[in-house]
Amino acid sequence: MAGQQLALTVLMGLVLVGVAALLTRIEDWRQYTPLAGGSAVAVGEDTGYGHREKPSGVIRWLTTVDHKDIGILYGVFALLALAIGGLMVMVMRFELITPASDVVSAQFYNALLTSHGITMLFLFGTPIIAAFGNYFVPLLIGADDMAFPRINAIAFWLLPPGALLIWGGFLVPGIAPAQTSWTMYTPLSVEQAHVGADLMLLGLHLTGVSATMGAINFIVTIFTERGEDVNWANLDIFSWTMLTQSGLILFAFPLLGSAIVMLLLDRNLGTLFYAVGEGGGPILWQHLFWFFGHPEVYILVLPPMGLISYIIPRFSGRKLFGFKFVVYSTLAIGVLSFGVWAHHMFATGIDPRLRASFMAVSLAIAIPSAVKTFNWITTMWNGRIRLAAPMLFSIGFISNFIIGGVTGVFLAAIPIDLILTDTYYVVGHFHYIVMGAIAFAVFAGIYYWFPIFTGKMYQRTLAKWHFWLSMIGTNVTFFAMLLLGYMEMPRRYASYDMVTVGPLEAQTLLHQAATVGAVILLVGQVIFVWNVVSSWLDAPKVTDTDPWDLKQSGLFTREFGWHADRLTAADGGEQQTVTDGGEKHEATDSPQPGDTEA
Amino acid sequence: MSEQAKVTGDFRRASPWPVFIALGFALAELGIFVGYFAVAVGGLLLLGGSVAGILVESGYASSVWRPLAGLGIAFGLLGVALVASQVDPATLDALSVVTDPNGIVGRGLAIVGSGAILVAVGVTGFLLE
Ligand code: HEM
Ligand SMILES: [Cu+2]
Repeated sequence: MAGQQLALTVLMGLVLVGVAALLTRIEDWRQYTPLAGGSAVAVGEDTGYGHREKPSGVIRWLTTVDHKDIGILYGVFALLALAIGGLMVMVMRFELITPASDVVSAQFYNALLTSHGITMLFLFGTPIIAAFGNYFVPLLIGADDMAFPRINAIAFWLLPPGALLIWGGFLVPGIAPAQTSWTMYTPLSVEQAHVGADLMLLGLHLTGVSATMGAINFIVTIFTERGEDVNWANLDIFSWTMLTQSGLILFAFPLLGSAIVMLLLDRNLGTLFYAVGEGGGPILWQHLFWFFGHPEVYILVLPPMGLISYIIPRFSGRKLFGFKFVVYSTLAIGVLSFGVWAHHMFATGIDPRLRASFMAVSLAIAIPSAVKTFNWITTMWNGRIRLAAPMLFSIGFISNFIIGGVTGVFLAAIPIDLILTDTYYVVGHFHYIVMGAIAFAVFAGIYYWFPIFTGKMYQRTLAKWHFWLSMIGTNVTFFAMLLLGYMEMPRRYASYDMVTVGPLEAQTLLHQAATVGAVILLVGQVIFVWNVVSSWLDAPKVTDTDPWDLKQSGLFTREFGWHADRLTAADGGEQQTVTDGGEKHEATDSPQPGDTEA
Repeated sequence: MSEQAKVTGDFRRASPWPVFIALGFALAELGIFVGYFAVAVGGLLLLGGSVAGILVESGYASSVWRPLAGLGIAFGLLGVALVASQVDPATLDALSVVTDPNGIVGRGLAIVGSGAILVAVGVTGFLLE
């Protein structure tokens, strides 16, 4: 023990010396760059494109506080997490091909299950949204950068240590990973002795701090940094959803953080917050967790809805139908989402009168969701539809969102939920939304803005393969799960050879179908990765200032104005061919009246 | 990507501190909760130093010494509060708590220790300058 402490002390000393040494090297670099010295006042008034050098190589990415760079960092981090979470679940799907437990141990399955959920929600979902937000909110609202660029960087850099801690149970030899599932229900999560669980909770806490810092930054940016011609009436729909989401984060994540700290104290310092028979008891955890947890699902879905509302009009040649109502429904969802948490606790024996009121609010929240769906469909109605990859993914989003939403409404009905809770039906329900909708919106956004991120164009055929494989894979996998749920197949089981409640053969078949669907999904994602990487590296530069022909339908927006400016600036100010013959700067500096509503 | 580097507004786009603030925060939290005291002290020092650095860089402070000492005092108070929470209110026997620290006192002492180091560095720097 003493030896261990000594080794740790020496190690920490070395880390600190290393940091100091690194800093002096960075100081060296700073002496050669004109603006990086002590002068602290930002000189943002100068709108000319100064060729401000950033340091090069790795140091550039470690020190950047530019919102676009940080957006890219968030995006790369989130996609890596998506890959890791996806590979974890592939192991689980292979385990479930047969009823017996024969690929991995049940303990390892549980650990993968826990880590898959946490990885996807906290290391992929929240960060990928921050990626789009960081990159585009300042461009869309005409701001120079986020309101607090350094806090922005701190928020991002909390994520990698958080991820290492969350995966710590797998990475550190000799300690077992957490097996609590993503909901971390007490008393199991208090009693489980694994150090991996402590590390995971700490990592989760860090990602929560990160999300909260990011949210404060978005709120302040959207309130105070808007350009002169951007007001609340013509704020774009994506920024609206980011604003609402940030508000939800502000109320939900600190609560999760406190609940986690209480859990850590229960585990390590002998407090009794969640102990059986004491004050709150185990049910306290469920209340606190779901008070965070349900808003969290809307934290994850609102900005993707914003992306869809933003992209669909641009491939339908029409403005977004009922823009105001899409904003109102966003705000309504934001408020209502804090009043439904106990629909995750219908089967816990809480007061039936409470249960009924939570059922009512849960059914009510379906209304604003339906308003949005209606508006997306009416936007496309009689439109000039172009089925480019972003649009395909947007339409896929709507289709999957409808299935996910309708199954949610069923679950919100107490008598149905009492039968379907803790079955694969619930897993099918939320995966239709998290995979079928949220991930689809992310892909739509990546394809739509690919020319902006990379200055290149993706390969269209590959993108279509990606879409169709994802669409088919999602529906095969998760529809099979809905059916499994109707057969009352319980969720979170590593094996099902002891299950006696249903026709085992049909259940095995459906599990196999789900695995086949997952393989189809995996192939689609491999194509996606290949497409992004090879297009980024090898595709010719985009020279079109309006790659989606948005000016034709009067839907040209600021971020593509920035893209056009960048092209002309890189060319030394030479005029580009502009498709509609209009003035380039008109489009950049004063958005046309038509595009403000979308 | 190279275009993005060029087409930027004309204000500061780089800072070395955020990475270290995040790292310091993570190490401090890990050390304090899991009870690796060396990690806790190291993490708090890194956090304190980087916060002082970023404050100077962004013009909220003119030198690092005052922020260092200030953060040191704050950490010290926090640690003392933790230790004090374990002192028996009847006997007020602080000495026995410190000589035979339990888990909470040990954590408190680690925080006090890092605070003391920060104060020492801050005061020394201030006097030498
Ligand atoms: C139309 C609105 C929705 C309604 C009425 C609804 C209803 C429900 C209900 C009642 C449950 C609990 C099922 C149970 O455990 O017995 C549930 C679970 C869940 N829902 Fe939804 N939902 C809706 C939309 C969403 C959305 C938009 C998301 C994701 C962005 C989502 C994600 C989840 C998740 C992750 C769970 C499972 C939590 C767990 O692990 O137990 N739901 N939903
Ligand atoms: Cu819910």
